[in-house]
Formats: sequence, structure tokens, C-alpha cells
Amino acid sequence: MRFRGVTLRQNFLLHHGRQLGTLSGLVGLAVVLWALTPHFLTVSNLLNVAEQATIIAIVAVGMTFVIIAAGIDLSVGSVVAFSGVVMASVLHSSAPLPVALAAGLGTGLLCGLVNGLLITIGRLPPFIATLGMMSVARGAALVFTEGRPISGFSGSFRSLATGEVLHIPLPVIIMAAVYLIAHFVLVRTRLGRYTYAIGGNEEAALLSGVNVRLYKTMVYGISGLLSGLAAILLTARLNSAQPIAGMMYELDAIAATVIGGTSLMGGEGTVLGTLIGALIMAVLRNGLNLLGVSSFIQQIVIGSVIIVAVLIDMALKRHGK
Amino acid sequence: MNKTLILVLSVVLSIASVSCQRGNDRASAGPRIAFVMKTANNPFFIDMQKGAEGAARRLGVDLIVQAAEREVDVEKQVQIIENLIQTKVAALCVTPSGSREIIPAIDKANRAGIPVVIVDTRVDAKALSEAKGQVATFIGSDNYEGGKLAGEYIIKRLVGKGKVAVLEGIPGHETGDSRLNGFRDALKAAPGIEIVASQTANWERDQGFNVFQNILQSHPDVQAVFACNDLMALGAIEAITAAKKAGQIIVVGFDATDEAREAIRRGTMDATVAQFPATMGELAVENAYRLIKGEQIKAEIPVPIKLITKETADSTTAKE
Repeated sequence: MRFRGVTLRQNFLLHHGRQLGTLSGLVGLAVVLWALTPHFLTVSNLLNVAEQATIIAIVAVGMTFVIIAAGIDLSVGSVVAFSGVVMASVLHSSAPLPVALAAGLGTGLLCGLVNGLLITIGRLPPFIATLGMMSVARGAALVFTEGRPISGFSGSFRSLATGEVLHIPLPVIIMAAVYLIAHFVLVRTRLGRYTYAIGGNEEAALLSGVNVRLYKTMVYGISGLLSGLAAILLTARLNSAQPIAGMMYELDAIAATVIGGTSLMGGEGTVLGTLIGALIMAVLRNGLNLLGVSSFIQQIVIGSVIIVAVLIDMALKRHGK
Repeated sequence: MNKTLILVLSVVLSIASVSCQRGNDRASAGPRIAFVMKTANNPFFIDMQKGAEGAARRLGVDLIVQAAEREVDVEKQVQIIENLIQTKVAALCVTPSGSREIIPAIDKANRAGIPVVIVDTRVDAKALSEAKGQVATFIGSDNYEGGKLAGEYIIKRLVGKGKVAVLEGIPGHETGDSRLNGFRDALKAAPGIEIVASQTANWERDQGFNVFQNILQSHPDVQAVFACNDLMALGAIEAITAAKKAGQIIVVGFDATDEAREAIRRGTMDATVAQFPATMGELAVENAYRLIKGEQIKAEIPVPIKLITKETADSTTAKE
């Protein structure tokens, strides 16, 4: 039953049902905010929220892959920082833009693959392997920069964050593309099916001839790669790469993923749910700012929403079985 | 769906608490000013917030104070500013979490026609002019002057002759660099005083302990230490006590935290430089208000600083 390759279609229906739940949560939240402040439901604010969601949303796609495969990646925030400073220093060395972008993505990918190898070949629990990487990548970013941010980039690089196509901010378009590709990969490709299979029952996947080590390593590679992409957007947005950037991104990304209905037990989840989860977090933060809520209360509200969302998700799941 | 219900419920709950909280502000029909701080849970910024709120009440300003969850999280701070720009506030006061990283947000405020008042931490001037950004004014302590006060105090205590050590902040931090430069410049007036060691302890207490312990090993005859903040000074005091040299070395810190004042009263520490965050907050709101009224304000508004010693540790508080 938990081998997703067989029951993919049934699960799909189930997931869609759950996504509708999350989506109605987002809509409900928007309605409340619309009723409370005239500044929420404006085109410029909605674009603003979408743009603010992009970085966590992209990191959360990688997290979704990892969690579906019954893993966890605590290193994403540090990998964002490390990829960012590596790319920034390449940019400052006056190398062509594509080379710098490749350096950022490559650094992220490399960190992710190391995570994957530690987990598959080294047989470390994902929590430990990525906890170690969290510290190593952060330290590497600090050593690499001597603790100072690297800032000031060309307009062409910055346009990755400031550019617009038909009034839609470029980061939002990039995010949409990432989600479309990730959705396709999860639903239509072998990599996607095996990700569900490994998360659902690793033993069964192995016995069915899935190269578990290879695909698991790839999944962590994807998470690292997307952290690298997030680093590019973050650096362009702030016009600066900070070695202390991305702290606690892992928690925001995990929150977006689980609010979106992905099970921490693995084997279940969708990236579309994660997108809605990331948007819920961004809309909440935005709304609480618009209303002028004190930052202390904001933390309580955000934490409560995460807990409640997961509680309900678990209750629904028990009900479904 | 249940999830919807509960999500909505939690938001409604939070909003209920907010409307109570902000009930008073809503009553005033004055202009809305946003104050985005580095953090809301550090005594320095709590005092700043109190000062700002006092001025807002006096002037009938609808003040919104926000801060990111963590002091170093400049990306969240940028998000908060973007969100507040959406509410069309009349003016924006910011204590930047990053001197350069904040500039894209300033740029957005500029384009929305919202004047920006920078408080406490300077924006990188070069990066700002490259981005063609505009800030109305800078309101903050003169850290250079504070370093100088500390230097002059040490010269007086050593009667112009002796060996001095320095504990620096994180290199590249504008505030620490200014304090250091002020201190060094003050010592130029006393050629008999030599800086035998000058090392960073990264603003931290435990590092202040370790670094000063090492300095004591290599320079056992050091007579005074200037730490660029109180935490490092308190760490140095512990190292001095551990080396059984209590009372033999003059310790001067910076910030006048409660613990430092207590140490000065007890006599383990000699002096610290006080900043006045409440005055900063007050001046920020006052000047933002004047900007909204269309008045001209100065491009730089220094907030006084003061040397605190045993004689003044009780009488002067940071809240004044």
C-alpha cells in the first residue's frame, strides 16, 4: 500500500483533496486580511508577497523532495550562504555572469551531493549528516569571506531580482518555472516515482530493483542545487552576499513543506502543496506587518499556524486509513 | 475544511489581541510613521522603542514599530519595509541590520516617495550613492567621539604614560571601527602611552576572556584595556580576576549596559561610554514628523554620549 509506484493514481486524488484544504486555508487567510486592511488586496501588494515568498519557496521544493524520500535537510540555509558568497566572489573577479551563476549553483549542488553520499555511502542518519553540513557550510562561508559580506554587483546581475516581465517580478517567474519542472519530475519521471518509493518503503524499493543510493543522493543534490538557486536570487535582491545569510531557512522550508501536506514520514507529498505552504507563510508575515502586529506576537501566530496545520494533516491522514 | 477554520481562527485571535494593543494609536488621526528596528528584544532597542513611542504620543503620531525575529536577518527587515511601504506610511525610520543590504529597501521607499530616517547604524555612503538612494538624515551616537572619550580617560588615569591593550569588535563593523579610530586618535596626544596589543574578540564575552587572557600572557605588564563593547570588557575582567590582577588593570568598555554599570559600582570596572537609545528613538520620530510637515532637517543629527565612571554610575541612566 505504501509503495507509491503502484498506487500513484489513488494517491494523487488523495493529495489533491489535501491540497484543496491547504488552498482554502490560504484563501481564508486572504479573505480575513482583505476584510481587515485595505492595503492587502492590491496588485502591488500581491506581487510584493509573491516576490517575498520566492526564496523560501524555492528552497522548500528541494526540501519537499528530501522529505518525500523520508529524509531531512537541515543544511539548506548554510548552503544558501556558502553558495552566495562563492558566486559573489566569482562575480567580483569579473568573470562572465553565467560562470558566476554556475559557480553558485555548483557549490549548492556539491554540498547537496556530499550530504547524499554521507547518507547513502556513509549510512549516516539524514538529520546528523545535514546537521554537520549546516555547520561546515556556514563555517566555510565565514572563512571564505573572513566574516564580511561581499556586496555591490552589476545591473545585469541585479536584474535577476529587480527585473520584470509583463509587470511580474522575475524571481516570481523563476519560482513558477522551478515549481512546474519539479512537479513534472515528481509526477512523470522515474526519479520522481523512485523518490516516493524510497520514502514510502526503502526496503521494498530496494527489493524492486531501485538503485536507492543513486536516487537518494540525487534527491539531496536537488536540494543543494535549489539552495544555490535561492542564493543567487537572495544575493541579487540584497545586492550583497552575506556569510550569515539564510539562517533558519531550513525551518521555514520545512514549515512550508509540511503545511503543504507533505508527510515527515516520507512517501507522500506534492510540490504544489509546498507552494501553497510557502505562500501561506509569506501572506501571514505580510498581513501581520500590514496590520502592525508586534513582532513577538507574529512569532506566536506563525508557530501556531505550523503546529495546527500539521495536527490537522495528521488527523486527516488517520481518518483516511 | 477544518484547516481553513483553524487558520482563520488563529489569525482572528491574533488580530483581536492586536486591535486591543493598537486601540490607542488608532484614535489619533495623526500621520503614520513606521519604525523598523534591528530587533525588539535587546535592551538597547527596547529603550529606543520607548523613546520613539513617547515622542509619538506627544506629537499625535500613529507609530508602527516592527522588527525581524533575529537581529542579523536583514532580508526579513527588507521584507518588513516592503510590506510597510504597501500601507503607504508617511515616513520610515530604520536601524539597518546591514549597512549595504538595506539599500534596495531604501530605494523602494524612495520610489514610493516615503522619506527615510536612518537611526543608530549608518548606511554605507558609497553604496547608497551608487544606487542613487536618498536618506533624509542619520540620527545616532558619535562612536568616534565615544572612543575618544575612552582614550582621554585612560590617558588621565595613566598620567600620560603606560601600556594599553585593545579588544576590537568584528572587523568591518562601522560602529566598532569608529570607536577604535576615536580611541587611537585620542592616544596620539599622549606619546608616552603605547598600544601593546590590539585584537578582535568579536563583540563576545567569552572571546573577550580568552583573548585578554592571551594578551596577559604575552604582556603581563599591561596597565589598561579598552574594549569596544561592554561584553568584551566583562570578559576581560574575568580574565584579570583569574590572573589574580584584580584592581591592577584599568578596564574601559562601551555601551553602559546594566551589568557594566554594576561592575563599575563594585569597582571591578573603571568606565564605560553610555549611548542614549531612548533619545535616538525620540529624535527619530520627531524628525520624521518634521519631514512630513515639510520642514528642513539636518543631514546628520548626533546623539550625545557620556563617559560613565564610579562617580556617575548611579546618577546617569541610559533612559534619560
